[in-house]
Amino acid sequence: MNWLKNLRAGLRSLFNKPSVESDLDEELDGYLEAAIAHKQQLGMTPEHARHAALAELGSRNAVKHQVWSSRWESALDNLFQDIRVSLRGLAKSPAFVAVALLSLALGIGANTAIFTLIHQVMLNNLPVRDPGQLVALGDSTNSGIAGGVDVGQFGLFPWYFTRQLEANPGPFQGIAAYGSFAQKVTVQIAQSSGAPSNATSLLASAGLVSGNYFSVLGAHPLAGRTITPADDAAPGIGAVAVLSFHFWQNTLASDPTILGKTITINAMPFEVIGIMPRGFEGLKQGLEPADLWTPSTMQPVILNHHSMLTPGSGLYFMNAFARLSPQATANKGALAQTQNWLNQQIHAAILANEGAAPSPSRQQEINRETIPLIPATRGVSFLRSEYGDSLQILMAVVALVLLIACANLANFLLARATTRQREIATRLALGSSRARIARQSLIETLLLSVTGGLLGLGIAFGATRALIAFVSQGSTHIAMSPVPDPTVLLFTLAISVVTGILFGLAPAIAGARTEAHGTLSASHRTSQGGGGKSSRFWPKTLVIGQVMLSLLLLVGAGLFLRTLRNLQRQDFGFERTQLLLAQFDAKLAGYTPLQTGELHQRLLDRLSAIPGVRSAALAGSPPISLGNWRSNIAISGYTPAPKENVNSILNRVSGQYFETAGISMVAGRPISPSDSANGLKVAVVNQALARHFFPRSNALGHWLTIDIGTVKGPWQIVGIARDTRSGNPRSQNQAMMTYIPLLQIEPVGPPPFPGADPATREENQDRFAGYILLRTSGDPSARIADLRAAVAAVDPHLPLLDVSTIDQAVSRTISDDELSSSLTGIFAILALVLAAIGLYGVMSYNVVQRTSEIGVRLALGAQKRDVVWMVLREALLLLAAGVALGLPLSLLAARLVRQQLFGLKADDPFTYAVALAAIVGVAMMSAWLPARRAAVVNPVDALRSE
Amino acid sequence: MAAKNKEEKQVPAPPSELVQGTLEMLILKTLALEPMHGYGVALRIEQISRGAFRVNPGSLLPALSRMERSGRIRSEWRATENNRRAKYYTLTATGRHSLTAATKQWEHQTAAISLILEA
Repeated sequence: MNWLKNLRAGLRSLFNKPSVESDLDEELDGYLEAAIAHKQQLGMTPEHARHAALAELGSRNAVKHQVWSSRWESALDNLFQDIRVSLRGLAKSPAFVAVALLSLALGIGANTAIFTLIHQVMLNNLPVRDPGQLVALGDSTNSGIAGGVDVGQFGLFPWYFTRQLEANPGPFQGIAAYGSFAQKVTVQIAQSSGAPSNATSLLASAGLVSGNYFSVLGAHPLAGRTITPADDAAPGIGAVAVLSFHFWQNTLASDPTILGKTITINAMPFEVIGIMPRGFEGLKQGLEPADLWTPSTMQPVILNHHSMLTPGSGLYFMNAFARLSPQATANKGALAQTQNWLNQQIHAAILANEGAAPSPSRQQEINRETIPLIPATRGVSFLRSEYGDSLQILMAVVALVLLIACANLANFLLARATTRQREIATRLALGSSRARIARQSLIETLLLSVTGGLLGLGIAFGATRALIAFVSQGSTHIAMSPVPDPTVLLFTLAISVVTGILFGLAPAIAGARTEAHGTLSASHRTSQGGGGKSSRFWPKTLVIGQVMLSLLLLVGAGLFLRTLRNLQRQDFGFERTQLLLAQFDAKLAGYTPLQTGELHQRLLDRLSAIPGVRSAALAGSPPISLGNWRSNIAISGYTPAPKENVNSILNRVSGQYFETAGISMVAGRPISPSDSANGLKVAVVNQALARHFFPRSNALGHWLTIDIGTVKGPWQIVGIARDTRSGNPRSQNQAMMTYIPLLQIEPVGPPPFPGADPATREENQDRFAGYILLRTSGDPSARIADLRAAVAAVDPHLPLLDVSTIDQAVSRTISDDELSSSLTGIFAILALVLAAIGLYGVMSYNVVQRTSEIGVRLALGAQKRDVVWMVLREALLLLAAGVALGLPLSLLAARLVRQQLFGLKADDPFTYAVALAAIVGVAMMSAWLPARRAAVVNPVDALRSE
Repeated sequence: MAAKNKEEKQVPAPPSELVQGTLEMLILKTLALEPMHGYGVALRIEQISRGAFRVNPGSLLPALSRMERSGRIRSEWRATENNRRAKYYTLTATGRHSLTAATKQWEHQTAAISLILEA
């Protein structure tokens, strides 16, 4: 317990320094008195005794200092003293402090903001047991309902197949499956009174999961229980729901009694059985994570789609994942065996779907099929695949900006250290140790960098919020948070300290190296100013580094900005002005496929009556979107070669779609309102499709069938429309597209099997339109309120999920490019400003240091011109060195990001020319001002100041 | 601890060249007789050593402070014979133990050194 007493005593004396001081004084007084008394006893005169005792005591303060430094708290006290001295020193140069804190806060803030996103998007492990054992089966970032593909293609599986894997996971610890997308559903929650009429109705997103989903994932509920295989036993049973934490918190106000109660989902009662903990979002992490989960057996209710839970269903909508055995996690051989086993299952499933015995070549093709096991330690994330590259580039960019800021501060501090040489020399002469001086200098920089880091946290919070808002594109709840967690705080602290050491170390060493003698002599200034080449080595090196890095950032920003412009300006094939899009979902409002004809007509009538709307149309998908409806097609009389790609994007449209979307016809006629349900079934194809199937003849008049039972056709091709960019604007291959009239889609689907009772045919879900298109005569966003009002007038319960202009829809498809180009641009400008400040600072400082030299030169007859040139030449040399290093570096770095570029090469000469011009212009500006000041030096004043 | 060790090195050797590292042992021995104030300790060391060792306050007071911190002695303010307040130091149980240990070690070392010198 001694150390505890020691600690307490130390702290007491630290906080109560005056009383410790007076105690010591009293003890010393007592000592002196005793000594004097004793010496008098020995026969000295009081006078002599006093003198002798004082001489023995020596310096009273030295004794006190020795006593003080024999205690541990003195080290702490020295530290506080250093901090106080540093603060006093900094307070004397508020301009420097302001610039330093601003650049540090911006630099550290930018780093923290980007790191927060990287941390959340790319580094967070799933909050489950042993996430390292989780693997996704194939690329699970794909989602949707696919038909006419092989089992496992696009990472999508049919329900019956995942059931087999669940029951028999082979060498895996378990295989589980989940619906590949979260579906919007209407949820009604009974108020406490319990009367259904009192229920609030809202939209939520629901995820379908297999019965073993939570157990394979290794996720435990916060309350209640998770879905079990018993819930998911057979189609139609298992009306239970597990809620996500944010849904429980935000929608149910964290109601603790919700467990066991009933909520209504798409008009069916579900029992709430569990609540997942905060941060659990399932394996797949989208922008809008699921609000609740239900067993996959509830698919018809949740998706509002006819059952896909039949053996041999050709519709694939599940993603699958598995938990590897510990052996397969640790051992490559075991992993390969596991992969082999899975491939065999896939081959068997594909074979079973073939029907007839496959040809030998097809058999070989099937044997080559493989579903890669993709590590899912951090889950499966659309954001990661979408923004991962951009975020990594941005992290590099902000790190460079911070480096440039560091170089600036190092330069400022070096300049300060030089002006403070007299002070330091004085302190050395008075007995201060070099270590103490270096330490104090480092404390000063750490104070700056940590304060800058704290301010940076604030900036980062705001910036991260803005970035998340950008990434989320208006989603209501999104799985990211700008609030820094401990990892982010640690990161910020670490870079603050590293930054402080980075820019503080050189000045600290330079300061401590000061010689006590010489510096104090009067002639010192001349030797420093004139011949001190070595003293200007560091500032010059730092400026060269800044020029180099700024050039790199400028080139990067130029390349990305031009990429973005190329993407935006390319010909999309449709008219991109004055077009308004709105997504709606009639299924959620309870409409059946049979009612859609009438609903669509009423909508079109209302919408086209809006003043300022030139035409209105409905379509299954908008002219451009990242997801699409697609299928293989067949043309009568055309036999495709084996493996020939006959896949076409499909769209179902109302009359006037082409007019409204602004897609011009190349040949034939568009789909028109007169193509009614009873008329001839017609289709419009795009140029790519016509070129593919009819390279030398006319496509018009030919018949086309689609490999989806509900819209099989045949359809007669009556028109050829221009090619349009329908998905990723970067893709170089023009997809084939087929448009069919909404009105001509059969009200009921095909019989489930040949010769079935016609009464068993289900209503055709493909009759629903998903989007409204309005071509306006003015600004399309001005019509949004009218559009909402018109839809509400038709049916107030019809949910409008998203309303946006076509420009917003286009920018959504290139949002990662917008993110990297705009932010790189901003950071490059910031870097340029910092570099300009740095160069200006160094050149001004040089001029001040060389004032006497310049004075002598002028007195000896040098022309003002010569003096200006002398200063400019030095700046030009620094600039040239920076450019000479920066150009190859930029070319190298541009090579690294060439995958991200579009429509230009990594060595795009225009970009380099502009970047060079910018850096040269800014550098010359910042050198010109000090040079002019040098020219007006008055020789007499300059020499007198010596 | 580290700071303390460093400071110990900085304590200048007393003018009378007290053998390095023995000051604390001597203080402990002195205080083993009776509680004393600082000057009393210095005087007693000087008297007992018949003037061979003189301890100046620049080393005595830091040593006392250090030993008080490590719990080997404790202090209290008392009135002196001249009716003034003075800080009196008393040996603690820990101090007594460390005196015994230090004495033993010292005897051991001096015996060894004598052996070497007499050889």
